[in-house]
Amino acid sequence: MTTAIEFQHVQKDFNGQTVIPDLNLTIDQGELFVLVGTSGSGKTTSLKMINCLEPLTAGKILVNGTDTTTIPVRSLRWQMGYVLQQIALFPTMTVAQNIAVIPEMKGTAKKEINQTIDELLAEVGLDPKEYRDRMPSELSGGEQQRIGILRAIAAQPDIVLMDEPFSALDPISRQQLQDLVLRLHARYHNTIVFVTHDMNEALKLGDRIGVMQHGQLIQVDTPAALAQHPVNDFVRNFFGASRAKNVYDVYVGRVGLIQGYLTEKPSVASGRIQSLDVQATLRTAFTALTDHDYVAVTEENRVVGYLDSQRIVAYLSQYEEVS
Amino acid sequence: MQTLIQTFIDRRGDLLTALWQHLGISLASLVIAMVIAIPLAIWVVRRPRWAEGLLQLTSVLQTIPSLALLGLLIPLVGIGTVPAVIALVIYALLPIFQSTYLGISEIDASIEEAADAFGMSRMRKLFKVELPIALPQIIAGIRTALVLIIGTATLAALIGAGGLGTFIMLGIDRNDTSLLLIGAISSALLAILLSALVRWFQTAKPSHALIVFVGILALLGGGGAYSVYANRVETITIAGKLGSEPEILINMYKQLIEAEDEHVHVTLKPNFGKTTFLFSALKNNQVDIYPEFTGSVLETLGKGNNPAGQTANQTYQLAKQRLAKQEQMTYLKPMQYNNTYALAVTKKFQQEHHLKTISDLTQVESILKPGMTLEFIDRNDGLKGIKKTYGLNVTAKSMEPALRYEAISKGKINLVDAYATDSELRQYHLALLKDNKHFFPTYQGAPLMKTSFANKHPKAVKALNKLAGKISETDMQEMNYEVNVKKQSASTVAHRYLVKHGLLKEGR
Repeated sequence: MTTAIEFQHVQKDFNGQTVIPDLNLTIDQGELFVLVGTSGSGKTTSLKMINCLEPLTAGKILVNGTDTTTIPVRSLRWQMGYVLQQIALFPTMTVAQNIAVIPEMKGTAKKEINQTIDELLAEVGLDPKEYRDRMPSELSGGEQQRIGILRAIAAQPDIVLMDEPFSALDPISRQQLQDLVLRLHARYHNTIVFVTHDMNEALKLGDRIGVMQHGQLIQVDTPAALAQHPVNDFVRNFFGASRAKNVYDVYVGRVGLIQGYLTEKPSVASGRIQSLDVQATLRTAFTALTDHDYVAVTEENRVVGYLDSQRIVAYLSQYEEVS
Repeated sequence: MQTLIQTFIDRRGDLLTALWQHLGISLASLVIAMVIAIPLAIWVVRRPRWAEGLLQLTSVLQTIPSLALLGLLIPLVGIGTVPAVIALVIYALLPIFQSTYLGISEIDASIEEAADAFGMSRMRKLFKVELPIALPQIIAGIRTALVLIIGTATLAALIGAGGLGTFIMLGIDRNDTSLLLIGAISSALLAILLSALVRWFQTAKPSHALIVFVGILALLGGGGAYSVYANRVETITIAGKLGSEPEILINMYKQLIEAEDEHVHVTLKPNFGKTTFLFSALKNNQVDIYPEFTGSVLETLGKGNNPAGQTANQTYQLAKQRLAKQEQMTYLKPMQYNNTYALAVTKKFQQEHHLKTISDLTQVESILKPGMTLEFIDRNDGLKGIKKTYGLNVTAKSMEPALRYEAISKGKINLVDAYATDSELRQYHLALLKDNKHFFPTYQGAPLMKTSFANKHPKAVKALNKLAGKISETDMQEMNYEVNVKKQSASTVAHRYLVKHGLLKEGR
């Protein structure tokens, strides 16, 4: 695998105070990498250093092997999509004009841009005929951020940076948009760096997750490794705090992450196996297990793994005593 | 209402010219102010310390009273359109600068960040993102400036730039409500109309807006070019103080000069303000000739002691010598009439209290309610001297010349200052009180010009000298009455007099 982004001994000071002392991180091409941490941990600053919105105090960042400070800043930014927490669609432009912002600057033919806009809108479930000429103020928050994402990917950048893009949205829109990010990532295979303070979001989206605290990367791992082998109490508690208050509301995907799945399809009649989405709760799982032997956990209709009652009981007995 | 419509019909030609001048001055000022203020505001958006300073500066500029500003500009740039436009630009800076600056600097930081993150250049960000977002606020600022400009531009008439202010000034001076209303209403309508046009610009398709904008510019530019072209013939500029009498006189000057020398075109600037104002305009070559009174020269213009009890001829000679020596100016021979100051009461009041002379006023001192012009109250040869010479102890209310006649006819006041030739003496049935102690100096009118001008234009001097010793006080009262009350044009009245007295051939 080739490297898309590499932080080398990156240091960042604000007003003489060091907020990020020495950051080293490699993000692979095609990876969906999530930076998670509490507020003030330096995750957003780290993200903004990639597209030079924040200058580095020391060290360097390589994008596709090239030091970012040696590339003209505008052409660097043209290779990167950017999605903001505040969404920040340009209020005087229509939906179509917003999406066209970067392709237009890059000089893409008008006809081609228009075609792209229609395709993208259709892909996120917004009828192009109806939405093309709307103004941002006429859209719901969730719809606005869909356009925000389309604006970022319209020029098919190798890299997309997302700065807590869904934290201002309602839970339903948030889930829909998380699914959208997964779908788009699966389709375009671009590198995504996604910043969030929500561990659940990190677990759901990340191929790998980097946990940040006080400007330092504490642990960088896959969701399962993070869940099963937290390096210290901070990570364990951060992870634990993301658990639902009521144990019945814990989703089955989490049990799989922590306990591990049965990866082999159990040799029973398929009628004995109930399919459940990763987002389904334990309550649903218990109901399913009253008349089935196994639960098949699926994500986007793809089976992730299998759980039986023993595994779930094991999760309940030994893990996650919520403080 | 009837008179208003009649005046409107009579004056529609003048009104159109005034409207055109007003529009030209206003739009030129607005465009210049925009060209200065908008780029400046954009430049300081990233420089908050400059922004603070410039906001302060533009606010201070706006607090300068407009008349004072015009006065300050005359020694620097003279009179006419240029100082008017400069003053209006100065007033329009603040609203445009402030609205542009605030409009851009108040844009949400996240939108600026998005524009940066997408790699927009500074210019692209400005034109694609910042200006469109700030546009409603900028337009609002431009509209405020426009309304301000159109209102203030009425003052341009005071320094010879014309415009709708001419109607307002004339209306006040001649106590003619119709003229005043026409000026004021036209100016208000113009403000409303243009303000709506600016708002239309905001919503119109860019192509339509551009066409209209270029059209207006071409129209104004064409007008400007034409006036430059029209001014190629030799032009003599003659101005006159505010009022019908100077206007009649300068019309006579014009007709006489143009009859004498066919290659000269005379431009008139009537109703051009007060004594010192005109005098400085003459000194600065903004005006070539204006009629001045011998008494005024001694009192206000020349330096030196004024011996009392001079004859008319002595007064003229003294004035002529002083002007020649101190200012290198030539003062031609005066006309016959003596338009001196006088005190007047109503005929009714005169009879009730048996008043004949100014001395008699001391007997009724306690019931006197004088209303006088500010100039008269303040002059040594005005009220100050009267009080001393006659031992009269009164305090006068200061009033605009035209308003005090209205006030005395309504009984609000019972003593006014007047000029001996005022048509209102006849119109309002007023009686003059005899100056029994010969306090008031002589005021004979005569053309005043720079000596250098007189040397270069012997024909003009010859033409103007035809008026020497002409026009009696009754002639002047009658002519003033015809202009002020009968609403005849000053040019017609002047022409009629000149023809009647054989100074000009009929049917020029």
